[in-house]
Amino acid sequence: MGKKLTVLTALALCLTMALPLAAGGSKDAAKKGSSGTVLTMGSWRADDVAGWTALLAEYKKATGVEIQFKPTNPPDYNATLRLQLESGTGPDLMFARSYDTGIDLFKNGYFADVSAIKGLKENFSEGNRAPWTTADGKAFAIPLFAVIQSVYYNKDIFAANGISVPKTWEEFLAACDKLKKAGITPIANGLADEWDINECFMMGILPNFVGGYKGRLEYETGKRAFNDANMVKAFQAMADLAKYCPDGYEAIGYNDSNALFATGKAAMYADGSWSLDTFKDMGANWGNFAFPAPAGAKAAICFHADAGLTMNAATKHPAEAKAFLEWLCTPEGATVAARYLPNGFYPMISANIKIEDAHSAELYGLIQGKDQDVRFCWPKLMSGDPSGYVLMNQGVIKAMKGQITAKQAADDFAAGLAKWYKPN
Amino acid sequence: MKNRKLGQYTWYCYLVPALFFYAVFMAWPLADSIRLSLYSASGPAGAGRTFVGFDNYIRLFTDPDTSARFWGAFGNTWYFFFINMVCQNVLAIVFALMLSERTMKGSRVYQTIIFIPVTLAILVTGYLWKLILNPQWGAIAQILTKLDLKELVKPWLGDERYALTTVALVSSWQWVGIPAMMFFAGLQNIPDELLEAAEIDGASKLGKILSIRLPLIKPVIGIVTILTFVNNFNAFDVVFAMENANGAPSYSTDLIGTLFYRVGIAGQHPVGIPNPGLGSAIATSTFIMLMAGVVGILGLTKSEK
Repeated sequence: MGKKLTVLTALALCLTMALPLAAGGSKDAAKKGSSGTVLTMGSWRADDVAGWTALLAEYKKATGVEIQFKPTNPPDYNATLRLQLESGTGPDLMFARSYDTGIDLFKNGYFADVSAIKGLKENFSEGNRAPWTTADGKAFAIPLFAVIQSVYYNKDIFAANGISVPKTWEEFLAACDKLKKAGITPIANGLADEWDINECFMMGILPNFVGGYKGRLEYETGKRAFNDANMVKAFQAMADLAKYCPDGYEAIGYNDSNALFATGKAAMYADGSWSLDTFKDMGANWGNFAFPAPAGAKAAICFHADAGLTMNAATKHPAEAKAFLEWLCTPEGATVAARYLPNGFYPMISANIKIEDAHSAELYGLIQGKDQDVRFCWPKLMSGDPSGYVLMNQGVIKAMKGQITAKQAADDFAAGLAKWYKPN
Repeated sequence: MKNRKLGQYTWYCYLVPALFFYAVFMAWPLADSIRLSLYSASGPAGAGRTFVGFDNYIRLFTDPDTSARFWGAFGNTWYFFFINMVCQNVLAIVFALMLSERTMKGSRVYQTIIFIPVTLAILVTGYLWKLILNPQWGAIAQILTKLDLKELVKPWLGDERYALTTVALVSSWQWVGIPAMMFFAGLQNIPDELLEAAEIDGASKLGKILSIRLPLIKPVIGIVTILTFVNNFNAFDVVFAMENANGAPSYSTDLIGTLFYRVGIAGQHPVGIPNPGLGSAIATSTFIMLMAGVVGILGLTKSEK
């Protein structure tokens, strides 16, 4: 009896131990099924599954290589990806965040060096490659798309109140004032979700206040202090806007702002180009204008390098992954990609890619001829703790609530950065 | 003879499954997270994390920014616990006393009503309350506006003065059913003879509650306090659902749970790279405080034998 039990137990143990092996085996078998190689792609664009699936199906038709799009919940992407890569289960191809967040993964050896990808140097400008290039000139991802920060405005409300698109920051404030007096909420933005007021609004207007790309470099290299007059002016500009935000804006979140603008309850809304499709079916006429610069300042716009695409350094299919990246670096590949990706995600390739959607084309037109720059904090100010992003975010919120002055907000920003940031 | 001796110890076998699952799913992760608190954040591929001794604890308690966040969250959690004790548990006792009155009609119906919020996911109730409290189109704002009391409409969730209280009240509303049912069960166990004897001696209703019913459910009060304490110090979801992982506005609703999530699991937006070492240090410190707290409460509320 006892012997029988021992044998049975041993058998059961053996079986459980063999189970993972069997599972692994069958998985491999599935991977090498009739269709040939299957690659996976990690992304934070969980909203774009349909577009990516169609795009990848097109690619499969042309090459026979199947790539599966496996997105993660956007806020969890960085943490999930790192966990996957650390445990050796990372996808073959994946979206890469720009600057430090991406560089970290490259330095740790998870992202492959893609400097040698054909078409990368030829078809992308140096500025567009920079967000995914290390200080010593190695590319760790190919540029995939960028987004634009601008103001969505309700053309019907503007027309009814005799307001034209403001050309300067002063005109913008005057327009807000006029709308407010007419009983209309001028701006839909609120503070509850925190990130949107910082990314969409503050960093949207900043290029105008600090002098675009060149201005940002002067802060980063230490030529200008982070609490100089321009920065104070930008914080002040945000503080001035508080009274034009909806009643109770302190508790209005990103989705509330979307709804306020979409239902015509607010006349303007500072948001990113990714929301273009959100307002597609809105009843009223709407359009976009660039954040206006203060009178006398040169107009600049935030064209933010958002996503790159890279391959896993440890992928089992390096040739196929490389081929896909090379395809996206050709004008043909980029054109196909632009066709399937949702509106508001703009290709960064230096080829004349036509944008079909009228709203999207109008918005894309806004960046032409303007000084372009990425969001202020992204290139250098993200890696410390507290990061420049967090400092700016808290400063903007406190200044808008009137808890501190714009000067204090700028001083806090500079003081927080001084703890860890060495100008270089 | 030999078999007999073996037989004495066969009961060990029955413990093995439970011990196994406890060890694998409770004890080992706990020990491992304590170990993790002595290691650095993520390192290069293959190299793993590096041992840093007590650096994470030193940073947690001496770095002004990090310790400000920790003590802020610590204070907020105590406040959150305080509101829950006052509103949730006092209300629960009142409900239980009312429900256990012999003259009470429809007790079952009220029990169900009080218990329903418990069965809903906090993400759902949190979101519902967020809608109700919305200053633009929330029900409360609309009712107050209709009553011509528009100046009373406040951004409850967006103002540092009200946000934590509001969130704590929603949490109380959600969970009041559990302590209410526990108190109710405790009150039901009090023998009728005791109360009848007190009645004959001329005890008033309040007198009966204060000198008989409450003292007799003291152990239940202790258990409920411990449960509230442990749940509140682990609370995260209600803040996550109603505010965000930063404990908006300006960290005023930042609890130990959200701080731990932000530091150790999710990382700060938008970089989103967590620091599991520092996160584990927060978790371990919290664990030690919880232990101390539970021992203290047990000592205070155990009934003298």
